[in-house]
Parts: sequence; C-alpha cells; structure tokens
Amino acid sequence: MSRRPIITATALAAATALALSACGRDDDAGSGDGNAAPSADLTDGPATGTIEVWAMGTEGELLGDFLADFEDANPDVTVEVTPVPWEGAHDRIATAIAAGETPDVSLIGTTWMGEFAATGGLEATPTDVFAEDDFFPGPWASTVVDGTSYGVPWYVETRALFYRTDLADAAGLEPPASWDDLKAFAQGLQQAGAQQGIYLQPGQGGSWQTFMPFAWQNGATLTDGDAYTLDSPEMTEALEYYMSYFSEGLSQDTVLQPGALEQLFADGSIGAFVSGPWHIGLVRDAGAADAFDVVPLPGKDEAPGTSFVGGGNLAVFTDSDNKDGAWKLIEYLTESAVQQSWYETATGLPSRPDAWEDGPLTEDPLVAVFGEQLEQTEAPPAVPTWEQVATVIDGNVEAAVRGTIPAADAVADMQSQASSIGTGLQ
Amino acid sequence: MTTHTPLPAAADDDVRPDATEQGQDGGTRRSSSRWLYVVLGVGLLAMALPFVWMVLSSVKPEAEVRSIPPTWLPETYTLENYRELFDRLRFPTYFLNSAIVAVVVTAGNLVFGSMLGYALAKLDFRGKRVVFALVLGTLMVPGMVTFVPLFVLVSNMGLTNTFPGLILPYLVGPLGVFLMRQYFLGLPDELIQAARVDGAGELRIFWSVMLPLTGPALATLGILTFLSSWNNFLWPLVVAQTEDMYTLPVALALYSVGQNATQYGLLLAGAVVVVVPVIVLFLAVQRYFVQGIAMTGIK
Amino acid sequence: MTTATTAPASRPTPAGGSPGGRRRTLLQRRQTRTAWLLALPFLLLFAAFTAGPVFASLLMSFTDMRSTDVRTPFAVDLAAFDNYMALFQDALFRKVAVNTAIFVLVGVPLTMVLALAAAVGLNNITRLRAFFRLGYYLPVVTSIVAVSVVWRFLLQPDTGPVNQLLGAVGIGGPDWLGDPALALPSLIVMAAWRNLGTLMVIFLAGLQTVPRELLEAAEVDGAGRWQRFRHVTLPLLRPTLLFGAVITGIGYLQFFEEPFVMTNGGPLNATRSVSFYIYDQFSFGNYGYAAAASYVLFLAIVVLTAIQFRVLRPKA
Repeated sequence: MSRRPIITATALAAATALALSACGRDDDAGSGDGNAAPSADLTDGPATGTIEVWAMGTEGELLGDFLADFEDANPDVTVEVTPVPWEGAHDRIATAIAAGETPDVSLIGTTWMGEFAATGGLEATPTDVFAEDDFFPGPWASTVVDGTSYGVPWYVETRALFYRTDLADAAGLEPPASWDDLKAFAQGLQQAGAQQGIYLQPGQGGSWQTFMPFAWQNGATLTDGDAYTLDSPEMTEALEYYMSYFSEGLSQDTVLQPGALEQLFADGSIGAFVSGPWHIGLVRDAGAADAFDVVPLPGKDEAPGTSFVGGGNLAVFTDSDNKDGAWKLIEYLTESAVQQSWYETATGLPSRPDAWEDGPLTEDPLVAVFGEQLEQTEAPPAVPTWEQVATVIDGNVEAAVRGTIPAADAVADMQSQASSIGTGLQ
Repeated sequence: MTTHTPLPAAADDDVRPDATEQGQDGGTRRSSSRWLYVVLGVGLLAMALPFVWMVLSSVKPEAEVRSIPPTWLPETYTLENYRELFDRLRFPTYFLNSAIVAVVVTAGNLVFGSMLGYALAKLDFRGKRVVFALVLGTLMVPGMVTFVPLFVLVSNMGLTNTFPGLILPYLVGPLGVFLMRQYFLGLPDELIQAARVDGAGELRIFWSVMLPLTGPALATLGILTFLSSWNNFLWPLVVAQTEDMYTLPVALALYSVGQNATQYGLLLAGAVVVVVPVIVLFLAVQRYFVQGIAMTGIK
Repeated sequence: MTTATTAPASRPTPAGGSPGGRRRTLLQRRQTRTAWLLALPFLLLFAAFTAGPVFASLLMSFTDMRSTDVRTPFAVDLAAFDNYMALFQDALFRKVAVNTAIFVLVGVPLTMVLALAAAVGLNNITRLRAFFRLGYYLPVVTSIVAVSVVWRFLLQPDTGPVNQLLGAVGIGGPDWLGDPALALPSLIVMAAWRNLGTLMVIFLAGLQTVPRELLEAAEVDGAGRWQRFRHVTLPLLRPTLLFGAVITGIGYLQFFEEPFVMTNGGPLNATRSVSFYIYDQFSFGNYGYAAAASYVLFLAIVVLTAIQFRVLRPKA
C-alpha cells in the first residue's frame, strides 16, 4: 500500500468549511498514541466549578439526585448531569470528541474504551488517586489501552448460569462444576422436560459474549497485547465443544426474538442459559418465581469458570475545563460506601471487591453469585478494532453452529480476518 | 382572471364517484364497487394489524407484552406504562421542542421546496440542469456518510444545542423540491401563458396562480416531512446536548432501551404517544390528497 | 391533450414563450431572474450544510481515516483507491451488494404495483375514504418495534398464522426468517408492506392531475376500465410514477431497518444489505472505508435513477 501524508488533501479540506479549528495534531499531551504519563496534579481541596456529566439511561436519570451528598461536601461545585439514551450513545460521544464539544465526565461502555482512548479524547487516569488493586481485575483491564488506564470502572456486570431448579431436581442433578458436568446437566434438564437443555446464542450480534467464556476457560486468548491470537488449538477445541451442544440437539440454532428467552425459561421450555444480573428480574417477571437458581460458570476441569465482564467506566475528556473537579467526582463515585448506596439506588453492581464484603450486596443470594463470578472474569481487549473483530467471531460462530464450516476453518477465518483488521493501536 | 383550462369544471371529490355510478352500466359498477370494498377491506386488515397490536399492548403489563405468542386483547389492562412515561419525562418540554422543529422544518420544505420545484418545472433558465442535478445528487448521498462532518460543521458554527442547529440542515430537503417539481410538471402550461397575457409577474404567477393548485402535493409533502422530522432520532441526539433541548424521540429512548435489556411496554406507550400528532395531522390533511385541482383558485 | 407531461427539465423552449424574438428574450430574462430567486433558499442552505460535508466525506473515502483520528483529521494517510479496491475484494461486500440488488429489483416493482393498486382503489370508493386512507398509511407510522414483533409472530415457523394457514391447505410452511434462502424474500414483502402507504399517498395526489374529462371522453369512445387506465391514466401519471420509482429506488438501495430489527442481517448474512454493511463499518470506526462504500452506493443510486428517468421519460 503506497502511503504518503496528505498535504494536498489538507490544503483542499482546509479550503472548505470543514475546517476543524478545534482539532490539531498535538494540542494535548494525551492525544494521539496513548502512553501519556498519568496526570497527578489533582489539588487537595474540595471540587469546585461546574462539572458536566453524561450518563446513560437510568444511570443518567438517577445520578443527578444521587450526587446531593457530593454537592454538600463540595459547596462550590455544581454538577450538571445529562441523561443520554443508550441507543446512539456511542455516536454521540464519538461526534462530541470529533467536534471537541465534550462534557467533563462521561459514562463509557467498557467495549468502547479502546476506540475513544485512541482518539486522544480521554485523559489518562491519575493512578496515584485510583489504585488498580482496589478494583476487580477484569473491569480494570477494560480501562487499560496500550498500557495506560483511561478511566475507572464504575459498575460492572458479568454472566453466570441460570437454570431451572425443578428440572434439575427431577433429573437428580447438582449444579455443574466442569464442562462434562455442564453437558450432562443440559442432557438431564432436557430429559426432565425442557425442549432445549441449555440456550446458547447460535451466532449473530453479541454471541461472542456467550462463546468466549468457553474459550477463556480453555486457556484461549484474544490478543497477546500487540496482535490478535484467535487461531489456537484451545479456541478450536472450545468451539467444537460449543458446537456439540447444537449437533447433539441440546441447543437450537434459531436466534430467539427479544423477550423470548425469559418466557421460554419461565415455562420450562429452556432448561438453562448464560446471562447477566438483569435477567434475575426479567425471569421473575416472566413467572419463573422461585423455580430457578443462578450459579457461577463451571470451568473446564472442576476449576471456577471464567466469564465475560462488561459494564460502565467513568472517564474524563481531554477537552474538559474542569479535570480536577471531574476526577474528584469519580473518586467519590468509586468509594466503597458510595458504590453500595448506588447499588441500592440504581442496582449497578460495584466495581470494587470491598463493596461486596458487607452491606446490601450480601443480602440477595442471587446477586452475591455474580460477586463470586466477578473474581473470575475476562474483559475483551481494549483496542479500537475490538467491536469489528467481535462481529467476525459472531459470524464464524454462527456458520460453525449451523454446520456450514468445521471448527478449525472457522477459527482460521477468524484469525485471518482479525489479522488484516489489526488491533488499530499502531 | 379567466382561463380555458382542459380541467374539469367541477371535480368535487365527493360527487365524482356518484357521478360515474350514474353511468350506463351502473349495475355492474355497483357490484364491482362491492368487490372493491372487500379487497380493500382485507388489505386494510393486513395493514393495520401491527398498529392495533401496538396500541393494545401499550396498556398491557411488561410481562404480557413480552409473552409468546403475543396476546391481542390485554389480559390485564393497565395504564402503568403511560403513568411511568409521564412521571419520568418532562413531556411538555420535549413535546414543544419536537413541535417547533417539525413545524418549522415542514413549513420550510413546503415553501422553499415548491419555490425551486416550480422554477425547475416551469421556468426556463440557464443552469437549470445543474441545479436539478444538485437536488437529485443531494437526495442520493447516503445520509450516514456526511453525518460526522456535518456535526463538526454545525458545532464550529456554534449551533449545537440550539434550534437553528436542529432545524437548518433540514429546512429545505431535496425530496420536497423533487416532489413539487414532478407535480408542477403535471399542471398545464396554458395557465401560465394566460396569466402572462394578463400581465401578471412571474413571482405572482407562481404564488397566486400555480401554487394554489398544488394542494395534494403540498399535503403529501407536508405529511412526509413532518413525519420524518418528528421521528428523527440521531441528529437531535447529538445536537441537543442538554436535556432541555431534547426532542420527543430522544427523550423516549432514554429509559426504555437499556444497556442490556429493553422495556417494551414503555417503548410501545412512547410510540403511541409519538404517533398521535402524526395521525391527527394525517386526518386533517388527508382530504387534500384528493382535492380536485379545478376547485382551487381558478375562477 | 394537455401539455401536462411534455415539459421536462431539458425541454429547450420556454414553457410559455411566445414566438416574438424581443419579447422572448425579455421573458427569458425575467424567467431566469425569477428562477434564481426561487432557487436561492435551497442553494444557500446547500452551500452551508451539504456541500462541505459531502466534499469532506468524499475526501475521507480516499484516506485511511478511522474514528480514532477524529481529533486530528488531517494526520491521516492518503489511501488513493485502496478503500475502493478493498471493498470489491471483500467477499462480504459482494454478498451484500447482491442482496441489495435483489431487494431493489424485486422490491421496487412490487411496492409500486401494490401502491398504485391501492391508490386507484381508494380513489374509486365513496364511503369511509378517510378511514381507508389512514388504514393503509398506518404501517408508515407504526413503531418499528411493534412492526417487528407482529411480523416475527406472523412468520413463526410452528405457531405463526402464515404457516398455520399454509398448513390448512396442506402445505408445510418453512422457517421464513431462519432459512437463508427465504429470509430475504420475506423481508422484501415486509418492506413493500411498510412503504406502500407513502407511495399510495403520492400516487393519490398524482391521480388528481388526471382530468376527468379525458376519462369520460375515452369512456364515450368505448374504452373499457383497463384500457382507460392503461392509455389515459398511466401516461398522465408518468411524472408521479417517476418520482415514486426514484424515491423508492433510493430508499431500497439503502434498505436497513428491516434486517436490522428482524434478522440482524442473518441468517449467514442472507439479509445483510449494503447500508447495513456501511453502518457496521462506521460503527467499527473505519470512516475512510465506510465513506468509500457509501460513494459506491451513491454511484449505484445514480445509475438506477438514470435508468428510471430514461424508462419513465415523458413521451410526446
């Protein structure tokens, strides 16, 4: 590929109204290629000035009132929270960064971190204020782009195994502790009356979140830090295991329509599935009452199983006029006690293990299961091209599950596409 | 002004079909009209079903909305979705914002679209082909590709979080120009010639002679433009930076669609609320869709 | 016969010019002045809001710009035609191009015929007209969420009404949305259903330009219903048909919402469209590549529109 800097194009574009005075190649230490030094110049006093915050959906709705205590403790501060719909939030943040018109702080979905950090639009985390060890490792890893952290985990979610206790009892089965157990478990649930022993997402949007835990449990990795490493025997073996649920008739390759999963689980047509904490409420609403339980994912061989971790991070923008206040707000929101009361306000699960040790998080046993699972999680790599590679994995999982290509070919295709896409970091 | 037009003297919408039914073969007409109602009725059922489900489901509890197979009549009737919607959202603000944007955008498209549409259809001028190509070209560029540059531009103009920022990029759309041009093409030139003979100026001919004949096209364009502006989501989402500038669709997306789960009852109740003004507008203008051209303006 | 359909943009003589030389130039000057005045608002807004972004995005399509470059848009590398070459080498792009072509070739005529039939039907009834008009327009205003729920239910393989109906006459209905061969045709039918209302309203407006006297004269001459439609109504409807064909073509070449909510592009990419592909590429942050794909789509739209203008060109 022949490449040269586009001086002519620059001139041409500058001649048009496109002109982006706000943009510049090196207007900021944090811009461009990452690896910025952690900024450690937070002042000691209380936060002052106006802090603009974008938060999505329910978080955005509830955060404003929730911050009353913070505003009391920092009398000279005004926090302006703008709720932003999840739908389109990615585009809104991307365009705001492009135009240099960002708030001071925003909630950022964990899988967007690589992209936004690489724009140079996010400030590096002051690691003297936020200690990596205070947070669950998976969520913290989601903030680290090319060696530097660009945000702080706020709330987290992870996936665990939901199953019908009545069917399991009828089959005389204990919750699974290994891959072999899980297979037998699905068979047992199916014999006890379920049409699908376990629902595993048969490809398409986001199915990597169900598939990758199996690959991680088997020791497969997504990157080695510099390049994608999808083509491994561990990945192939995990995919073959995943496919076996479909070929053995324990899972079906029809994608369920939204809302169908809860319904089919509640009426016993689906014996088990893998999902996040929000499904506790949905399953109950659908009428499953107490006929279900949640347990951590089993590992391959009796070890605890690795799960996917997602959630939301809080980040400060380089175009912020009040970085000092912004980090102080984030410091407040990630305090252990504040995280506990945020859970009671908005059901967001704390990103710090110590917030789970006492108080409200210990009260609901189903929720506590997710706390247990959080000890054993992986986050997808925080690189700018992750979302694209994720759809490559989705597409190949779909083809493999439908039996159109063997596992080895699917994995090889994942790798060849991912290699040509690159991590996008350099 | 008197003109001899080739148009019917009275094309009153309401008498026309009766007049034809009085023709020689009235008997066959009537039975074929019965068949027409049957066919149209079956079609109507197919067209209206999802809408009916939407309205009925907006008064069901969340679990019933999600039930599979879907229920038609609510087993449990509840206004909870609406209550939640109105409790959590500052409706008057969002409604007003949406209305201001949609009304101004619609008015702009009607006025400016018919202006250029008329020029392209009925006036002879140098550069006409270029202008028409510009209009069609604008219509054909996929919207996604210009989205980010357009936002950067609007931001540099200092128009984010303002009504001009929400309105100006949509104030005159190529679709309106094209639609009006095509409609004007269908109107007879004799009207213009006669008006010129009477000594009317060109602008006056456009405004007082030709524009009043475009009722059906203006009604059509009005409803199309209003609907797309009213439902526009992504542009107001990025331009309206604070909550007090949000439009209805942006606000409705706030709490119904979550990071991992969607509240369908809330979503459908919101959809019903949004659709009401559109339906009112449609019913208000629908008679103009079939307004006979002769009954307007020509004396 | 009126001159209604004989005044295309390219017509060399002024619409109302009288033969006198001097008067004619005067008239022409007056028309030119008026025309530019009438064009001014569009041109101003075009210059302010369309020209720049179009130019910028076209430029972008020749670079390797990604979303990570948005703060430094000029610090990207020129990629010449690399993006365009890469597009045609991408098997997925070729697949979505074929899907889109099928969608347009089948969907546009289907929607046009249905909408015209509905418009003519509604134009010929006396009672409950407002009711019927609104009814046929409802799919246009119905929330896409409700539309997708109901359509998925209708097309459900085991319990769906469509297959139960087929079962009643002894046909085993397939998995409409799950079978890669049937998913796209199913979505075409759904798109026709959704877009029929818009076109119907446009056609209804167009039908009003057909002078009733002409139809009556034809009837007196002994022309049957179909003949009158074929030889009087259709020719006079040509500008409207052209408009309908062009905007439906443009819309269908960019079809997106149906697969987005119904099938997510699957199964096995059978319903993924060019617009869906572009949407994905923009979400992935591949701005340069996505822009190139957009302009390929733009060219396809230009070609289709040119063909439509040729086919539906007014005949003297």
